[in-house]
Amino acid sequence: MKWLDGLTEGAVRGVAQRTSRRGFLGKLAGAIAGGAAAIPLLPVARGDGSNPYPEEEGDPNSCDYWRYCAIDGFLCGCCGGSANSCPPGTEMSPITWIGTCENPVDGKSYIMSYNDCCGKSSCGNCLCQRNEGDRPVYQPRLSNDLNWCLGTESQAYHCSTAIVIGTALDQ
Amino acid sequence: MNRVVAIAALLACSAAAANDERAQFNYIIHCQGCHLPDAMGFQDTVPRMNNFLGYFLHSQDGREFVIQVPGVSTARLPDDEIAELMNWLINTYSAEQRPESFVPYTQSEVGELRRSPDADPLRTRTRILRAIAVAEPALANKLITGYIE
Repeated sequence: MKWLDGLTEGAVRGVAQRTSRRGFLGKLAGAIAGGAAAIPLLPVARGDGSNPYPEEEGDPNSCDYWRYCAIDGFLCGCCGGSANSCPPGTEMSPITWIGTCENPVDGKSYIMSYNDCCGKSSCGNCLCQRNEGDRPVYQPRLSNDLNWCLGTESQAYHCSTAIVIGTALDQ
Repeated sequence: MNRVVAIAALLACSAAAANDERAQFNYIIHCQGCHLPDAMGFQDTVPRMNNFLGYFLHSQDGREFVIQVPGVSTARLPDDEIAELMNWLINTYSAEQRPESFVPYTQSEVGELRRSPDADPLRTRTRILRAIAVAEPALANKLITGYIE
């Protein structure tokens, strides 16, 4: 069923690229993406932690998208990549900032990994600085002001992804 | 001796009652960003714990060191959850390297050790691993593979 995911993502991405991010079609694309995630045919299992991909809504190229609660950087979706992937010609940093964001669709917190894409100079598009939970650099693990291009060939920061890697525990 | 056995049994029970799900969640949130999902670390940058962490438990200094390293001693977690996390980490990723005599960490031990964090962990690490290699020559060639020398 990956082809269906790919097809949906490709269609939504196509619309997003041809239209204003904040325009009606952008919102429609977000709704389509959210709606597609609700179709039970998609290869996702919810709630067991092994495949945490949640239902979502909103514009992945907008700073107020739920996954970006602690982001400080350029959205890869505005730089030729996506919220899950790096633009061509860049390398995803294996070492990454990890935290949690609450998904408004189901009210649950998910574990987010903000893997930076490295190897090109700053993208410059869609700079987002929400910084929820960000701490000063004396707590480096919790600081998003640091360059997280660590373990990559180049330390030049290009943009940030926001990948859902798990479901947070209820605490 | 009976008392020692009873205490060991109690400790084993408290370890068994630990919340593995919470330990794993805490690992992801507090450790995985740098040590990576399989605790493999990263060459020249982040120490490897997978199939390595247990070697430190072959000496008392090493046992104390792994709680006193900056990432553990300053983690924003209470002492009992640090103990739970470290026991889970050792049992999950380095059970083969730990000595058979390993006794799980307790909340009070972790609390005590965190109050004296290690100020120079790279140097301390080298000293401890060298001492273990001298005391247990069979381990010597395995102790040089933890990435950071």
